[in-house]
Order: sequence, then structure tokens, then C-alpha cells
Amino acid sequence: MRSLRPLLAAVCALAFWTPARAQEAPYFVTYDHHLEEPGNLEIATSTTMGVPRSGQRFFIAPYMEFEYGVMGRWTTEVYVEGQTTSGDSTIFTGWRWENRFRPLKREHWINPVLYLEYEGLNEGSRIQKEVVGNAPDFGEPNSELRQTRAHELETKLILGSNLHDWNISENFIVEKNLSANEGFEFGYALGVSRPLGRMASGSNCRVCRENFAAGLELYGGLGSTNGFGFHDTAHYLAPVISWQVGDNASLSFSPAIGLTHQSNPVLLRFGYSYEVRGVRQKLARLFGSKP
Amino acid sequence: MGASLGLGQNTSYTPDVRWQAPVGATARKNPLADKPEAAAGGKKLFLRNCTECHGIEGQGMVKKHAADLQLLVVQQESDGALFWKITNGNPDRGMPSFSRLPELQRWQLILFLRTLKPVNPPASAEAK
Repeated sequence: MRSLRPLLAAVCALAFWTPARAQEAPYFVTYDHHLEEPGNLEIATSTTMGVPRSGQRFFIAPYMEFEYGVMGRWTTEVYVEGQTTSGDSTIFTGWRWENRFRPLKREHWINPVLYLEYEGLNEGSRIQKEVVGNAPDFGEPNSELRQTRAHELETKLILGSNLHDWNISENFIVEKNLSANEGFEFGYALGVSRPLGRMASGSNCRVCRENFAAGLELYGGLGSTNGFGFHDTAHYLAPVISWQVGDNASLSFSPAIGLTHQSNPVLLRFGYSYEVRGVRQKLARLFGSKP
Repeated sequence: MGASLGLGQNTSYTPDVRWQAPVGATARKNPLADKPEAAAGGKKLFLRNCTECHGIEGQGMVKKHAADLQLLVVQQESDGALFWKITNGNPDRGMPSFSRLPELQRWQLILFLRTLKPVNPPASAEAK
């Protein structure tokens, strides 16, 4: 335990240090229309835990996310992910590179964002960052799943609105597996959320309402061009809550309830994110050039 | 104030002429105008969200091309115009939208901005 103290101290220092950012929507799956601030890097780690039905196995699927604001209207993000299935093994399941573009300059009633992602995954992927197409088979062992590689392109139309203090976001998803003849797969994600405190207090409180946001997500698959609709698809209803634990850090939690027999009964999601400000300037200084 | 007029103050800031609040937005009144004590929360929000580009005293960072919020050209804007600018941002000039902040918090920010002492740009900056 003594050897862990420096590590714990470092984690606490990261969580409770330096200036902060605006409270973000607490979603795990749904995207809102807000992009990363230019020059900032957000490092996030999240875990999806699947509570199984009888005959299935419990899994933990962690992923790391590096989100960078390239420009005011362009954010790029890289993910790496893995999973552990109880009684089976731990495997690396692949990586993703996503980009979000905001075509309109100003805030409107509905704000569109265009999303394009490349995924280099294997069939063992369980993070369920999006749910598309038909429900996956949770019965196969990792040794087989990791053999099946998938190169996928995913697009989303993200629509986001801020009405008074509520955020309402809708995502419409189309995904194409370039490695298999599965047609185009479809999915959706809807989210609504609100900060719990409307005004900021003058004190530097941590456990006060203004540092919490709560909401609800609904997401699922809509089949594919081979069979569009709700048949054999997974859907989840997920309360979400986030807590800005430090000026640059936040914790999130969401217990997602499976709504169909093809869904996991429960998905538990945990997330921690940390924002590094002014990365572009820091790198420029490091390499001796003008930012 | 002397310190803020020193290194890094962006007194040469010139507003983006294309970044103008519409008339309807300009006329909006600050619902917290009769609650000056709420400026303390606005200061906290300012330190969290704005100082990286605008500086601790709102003097604006030259390298970030950020507005010097102490300048008359900024302080003469109406509350409604500032609210609109904070809400919408100006992404092509590096100013993000803060529409994710609750509305009252954006008004709190404006209460705090009004506590920054307005100054005219020095003659040397005007000459530029």
C-alpha cells in the first residue's frame, strides 16, 4: 500500500488541480454539438461492464480516448480499446479515429455536426460506444472473435440544441463494414441532460450542485439494409450523471438498462476525463518554435 | 492595473466587424443586474473558462489574439451583446461557444466583466 501512495497522490493532484472548463453534457454514447476547444487535449478513460444473461459471461471493456481540438470547428479523436471476459481472456480489440466537423458558425435552435470515423476492430469489441445494426453474439470465445477483423466506416449526423439549460441531442448513425458484405447498418442515440445548478456560487466548492449534470440516454440499433427495423436489435435506456471533481477533471457514471432480449440486461459505464489546456502552445514551446 | 498594461496586454485588439450581435440580442437585459453579489460566481467562472486566452485581469493575450476585455470598445457593448458573443463564440477567430454553460452563469460572467476597469487603448496602440 505504501508503494501506491505516490501514485494516488499523483492521481489526486491531476484531479484537483488547475483551471477548468465548462460543464460538459454527461453522455457516454450520444454526442452533443459542442466540440473540443482549439489547442486543447482531453484524455479520457472509460469502462463498459456488461452484466450477462444466463449462459453469457460477464465482461469489462475499457477504452482510452484522446480528443484534440484542431480548429474551432474541427475536433479529432483517437480511441484504443480492449476487453476482458470472465473465464476467458483479455484481448486488445482495436482502435478508432473519429473526426467531427461543425458546418455552421453560430448557435441555432438545432446545431448540426458531421461525424466520420474509421474503425480497425475485431469482433471482440464490447465498449458499445455506439449500438448499430443487429445485436452482437456474446457467446463466442475471444480466441475466435479476435481472428475476425473488421475495417469499418461510420458516419453520424449529430443534432444538438440548448433550450434554456437543457441539452437535447440526437445522433443518426450509418456504419459500413468494409470487410464483410453486411450492407449498411443503422443506429440512433438520443440524449437529454441538464446541469443541476443554474448559478455558480462564489466559493470553490466541489460537492455542490453546479458541478453535477444529469440526464438520460436512449440508444440502439436499427438493423441494416439487409433488414431495417427493430427485429433482433439491442436498445438501452441509460440515466447518466457526471461530476466535475476538479477544475479540469470529471467523473461520469451510467447504468444502462437493456430494453430487448438481445440487449445486455445491464451495462455499467464509468468514465474519467482530464483536459490539458493549450497543448499546441506547450508543444510549440517544447520544440522551440513560436506557437 | 499597471501590471495588466504591461507584457502581453492586447490593447491593439480590434473587434471582428463580422461578429456583431443582432439587434434583438443586443437589447436583452441582464436578469441579475440587481444582484451584484452574483459577480463573485462570475469571477469563478471567468477564472475557469476565460483566463487561458483573456488573462486573469481580462487583459487579453496577444499570442491568442484574444480581446482585451478592459478596453472601452468591449465595455461599451451592451449586456445583451456580450451575452450573445459568449453564447455563440467566434470559432474562426478562436473564441469557443459557451452555450453549454447555464444561461444564468453566462449572465454572471457579464456581471464580472463589468467589474473590470475600462481603459482606453494607449496612443501607441491606436496608431497601429
